[in-house]
Amino acid sequence: MVFDPRVGLALLVFANLAAFSEQPFWMEMIWIGFLLLLMLLHRCFAMVGKSLLIFGGILCLQYWILPAAPGWVATSFSIFANYARRMMPCLMLGFLMLRRTPMPYLVAGMRKIHFPQRLIVAVSVTLRYFPAIREETGYIRDAMRLRGIRGLAKLEGIMVPLMVSATGTAEELSAAAVTRGIEDPAPKTSLVELRASPVDSAAFVVGVGLTAALLAAKLGVFPW
Amino acid sequence: MVELQDVSFSYTKEVGTLTHVDLTIRPGECVLLCGASGCGKTTITKLVNGLIPAFTEDCTLTGQVLLHGAPVREQPLYQLARQVGSVFQNPKSQFFNMDSDSELAFGLENQGMTRGEILRRLDDTTDRLHLKRLRGRNIFAMSGGEKQLLAFASVYAMGPKLYILDEPTANLDRETIERLHDQIAYLKSRGHTILIAEHRLYFLADLIDRAVYLRDGIVERIWSGAEFRRLAETERIALGLRTLTPTQVTLPPSRAAGEQDGLSVEGLSCRYKREPPVFQNLSFSARPGEVLAVTGDNGVGKSTLSRCLCGLMRESAGTIRLNGRILGAKQRQRIAYCVMQDVNHQLFSDSVWGECQLAMEGLSDQRIQEVLERLHLLAFREKHPMSLSGGQKQRLAVATAMLSQKPLLVFDEPTSGLDYARMQEVACCARELADEGRVVLVVTHDREFLQCACDRVLEL
Repeated sequence: MVFDPRVGLALLVFANLAAFSEQPFWMEMIWIGFLLLLMLLHRCFAMVGKSLLIFGGILCLQYWILPAAPGWVATSFSIFANYARRMMPCLMLGFLMLRRTPMPYLVAGMRKIHFPQRLIVAVSVTLRYFPAIREETGYIRDAMRLRGIRGLAKLEGIMVPLMVSATGTAEELSAAAVTRGIEDPAPKTSLVELRASPVDSAAFVVGVGLTAALLAAKLGVFPW
Repeated sequence: MVELQDVSFSYTKEVGTLTHVDLTIRPGECVLLCGASGCGKTTITKLVNGLIPAFTEDCTLTGQVLLHGAPVREQPLYQLARQVGSVFQNPKSQFFNMDSDSELAFGLENQGMTRGEILRRLDDTTDRLHLKRLRGRNIFAMSGGEKQLLAFASVYAMGPKLYILDEPTANLDRETIERLHDQIAYLKSRGHTILIAEHRLYFLADLIDRAVYLRDGIVERIWSGAEFRRLAETERIALGLRTLTPTQVTLPPSRAAGEQDGLSVEGLSCRYKREPPVFQNLSFSARPGEVLAVTGDNGVGKSTLSRCLCGLMRESAGTIRLNGRILGAKQRQRIAYCVMQDVNHQLFSDSVWGECQLAMEGLSDQRIQEVLERLHLLAFREKHPMSLSGGQKQRLAVATAMLSQKPLLVFDEPTSGLDYARMQEVACCARELADEGRVVLVVTHDREFLQCACDRVLEL
């Protein structure tokens, strides 16, 4: 089942609002629980485990390890831990979208909500690039192993070949793109059809609800 | 259909890439552009599909390029895209989507075609080109050959009248080349116009109506199809063109496993995690001083075999011996070296000289000088490796292989997009490395190259 890109993007906005407006901790827990449930409904079981592990790890760090650690460690890491925890819902949504929203759907979704075409091209090419870069780094690593390049030199050595091949690829990609009419001003159509599933529609409603609750909390509606 | 009238072009002010080119391509014609690397073939294709001058800065272009009587440079690229379909050399960098259906639909979506029409075109395309098995696939898991066929199909789906193919077979095996041949034949039968720049000519001989021979940016000869097919062997070689007839491989098969001298592979199997084995129970030997070709179609495991021999992946069963001694993966990394298909991946230093020093510790300057001299690279000793031409980079990788003194050397697809001269040069390099007493393996599906460069052949 495809995770609807429009719902995904909307939830991402809501989660960002929540993360940066110092929402109360109980609300944060609701967000986490809600997203875990959403992952379960999208059958991403391993992802649920991983998210729990990361979130639990950050909580441990923040509430047990850092208070017991020497002062300089606590001060240098507490801000990091705090923000990492707050960003967790955004991270989880990102995971879910990467796994369950294939690129053509994402592009179709962005077109539906009238993203500027330039931005759509930029986003889709960026996403298309990640697997390509992974492939390239694989070859470069192989070459370094055979040359016996180890340690720090390895990090340095990977950059130049990667940049060179990346520029080459970028050039070839854009040549292929324009010869297939990516600049065509005609209104774009889409092979895939977007239909938000009941699960995704419900998730959207929950997202709206949580944002409303956040607003209420900010306005002091809740007594606690 | 296409007219070039007294076209001269250069990327920089000084050197001309094309000089006074006149060429007319009639509707329904299949025209071949041939000649050595850098002769201006690709430049002509880019002038017709509009990438030049739209994609080049600081270039000088004089004369006229006309498409249906209208100047190409005055039309926006998206308008050209509706009439001209382009297929390029590198299958890896021609697709934007991760799945094949979206890729086939890409050009149609750009034109704003309705969903129903897109679906109809997709079915029609895969029917006509016999590519049903490419539907609904993950592109990153496809072989290079499949990717190239998909690129061709995506262009076909857009329904252009003119096709421009720039070295489409550079990375393809024999079987995929045959399919491409059939697809071009089909386009021809439907009255489409085709302009193709290629080094590998044997598969095109029966298709072309005219062949244009370029040397240093000047049109030297234009043959009719019949004249071209009658071209004498000696003349072809003098012109630096690759063979016009399919090559028969007459090399003896690889030696049986168990040689005490050199490489012996016994019952080798390789697999990636949780997947079925790529190949199983493979046995062969190769002696020092011998060049062994490893060949087979895209996807039979040639690259996996070379990675395994170099110790970059573990075998799942079997043994690999060098001079009778069993070697594990880590040990193989120390005795093996690979000249990769894309040599950009294996040059790390900031100068040619530095690159050579990296090859092994304690190399004498004299030895480096000697090797660079032999490979005609000494004049470039202070240059950055990435500023060299493709051929020079490949020779530099060969130089580091020579200097490393590793006894086992693998060339992985060294011939993608090579003209006749470069092909001979790579063959020469392989021979020299073998003559120094190494075991040399050449992974390739280029039969012409294989026949001229190798002593024995292992067919996977």
